[in-house]
Amino acid sequence: MHLFIDTHLFDIIVILYKDGKIIRKEIVKDEKEHSRILMPLIKKVLKDETPESIIVVNGPGSFTGVRLGVTVAKTLAYTMNIPIRTITSLECLALSTTENEKIVGFNDKNGYYIGIFDNDYNLIGDFEYLTNNEYEKYTKNYNVITDCDLDFENIIEFALTKEDINPHKVNPIYVKKIDVEK
Amino acid sequence: MKDVFILSIETSCDETSIAIVKNGCEVVALTILTQMDTHSDFGGVVPEIASRMHTENITMVLEETLKKAKMEVSDCDAIAVTYTPGLLGSLLVGVEFAKVLSYVYDLPLIKVNHLIGHIYANKIDNKLHFPTLALVISGGHTELIKMTDDYEFELLGETLDDAIGEAFDKVARVIGLKYPGGPNIEKLAKEGENSYKLPKMANDDTYNFSYSGLKSSVINLVNNERQRGNEINKADLACSFQTAAVEELTRKLEKALKETDIKNVIIAGGVSANKYIRSEVQKLCDKYEAELSLPEFIYCTDNAAMIGAAAYPLYLKKEFADLDLNAKSTSNIC
Repeated sequence: MHLFIDTHLFDIIVILYKDGKIIRKEIVKDEKEHSRILMPLIKKVLKDETPESIIVVNGPGSFTGVRLGVTVAKTLAYTMNIPIRTITSLECLALSTTENEKIVGFNDKNGYYIGIFDNDYNLIGDFEYLTNNEYEKYTKNYNVITDCDLDFENIIEFALTKEDINPHKVNPIYVKKIDVEK
Repeated sequence: MKDVFILSIETSCDETSIAIVKNGCEVVALTILTQMDTHSDFGGVVPEIASRMHTENITMVLEETLKKAKMEVSDCDAIAVTYTPGLLGSLLVGVEFAKVLSYVYDLPLIKVNHLIGHIYANKIDNKLHFPTLALVISGGHTELIKMTDDYEFELLGETLDDAIGEAFDKVARVIGLKYPGGPNIEKLAKEGENSYKLPKMANDDTYNFSYSGLKSSVINLVNNERQRGNEINKADLACSFQTAAVEELTRKLEKALKETDIKNVIIAGGVSANKYIRSEVQKLCDKYEAELSLPEFIYCTDNAAMIGAAAYPLYLKKEFADLDLNAKSTSNIC
């Protein structure tokens, strides 16, 4: 039984997965107060059972959103003493498309997070954050897949093939630069 | 009565701190991981970086605290956390972390106001005697409060503009001192004399404070001297500013001591680590035969032990929070 947590953007997704199947799935859409929702939702999904591992989407996305999911996931893994694995929000998109050219992206208010993956879902190059203007130019040359329904079975199965990480070392990836870094 | 152990968490600004506090007054273990070096490169706390570092470090800070205490989380009776006031992103990390501990170990969750935490820092290895006057002085607050019992607060006065710590930081920046400004002003002031004439603050009949006038006059003085090509004596200016700023505190505290006849005084908040403030308030208390209670220096700046101390009366009253607890960036004590 594996617990999957995704809070990287506006939706909060908590899934319990066992033997290739989703047992319970809770999605709260367009949530502004992730903090109020996330733990009660996890409690509802877990029903006081201890999962055998945790998978968390560790970004990129909303800084605060990603941070909440990662903080909760790494603390659960550390205190329950169970393995934790991370998967990126862009890997999730790549794993949900059947296109051969896996250039995937999603937007926040000011721009787009982009990732390019090969057919084995290996990232080619680095993640990028393009402003809306840059993105417009980019899409003249490349076909970016932005709208696909997340294939959670595929995402979770893929995540489970990864090495688990020491909970202390699980951290968000942010990609987008903040002012003091510029 | 059975001993009560509270595991407490504080992440409201740039310190990741976890403590285990016994019966609200005895610190079993305390870990404070400060990010000061990182932020000093930027001349002040960068909220986004503070939040990131809390998430990076918080499970390690827990591990270290448990190791020091030779305890497990399950040996504790409750989880307490600062939920307000502070930097929202930073508070949220602590609040989520606390909720996970509360859930996994099935322990009650207690939400604590950071400022009340500073007041209860006085309870560590010490006693709070009621009624007491509490002077809460920090980077965001300057308040004079009357406390008649645990969690019984009455606001007598507060700053009408800048907080005292804010004024210290701004003046530090103007005279070219590094972050953290307050402690650096205090250090420099020791080498100087109170030689600059700064305006006295308006003498009104309330318990309220005001710091923007003093701050502006220092800024104007520095700008005028620079325009004239004169050197400023930084140490003298630091000393003159600190003297005027503290006079504003003691003037209102003296009024309260006179009018309320309360014989206990506590100082709380980050600025209470300032030794000049401590000695001036001590002098005042001696004059009115009042007893001054001061937290140890380590409990003056942000720390989780004070949160455990402040959580204890709430534990006894069974004032527990739920898993939908949210953080709040601003709030007052009363």
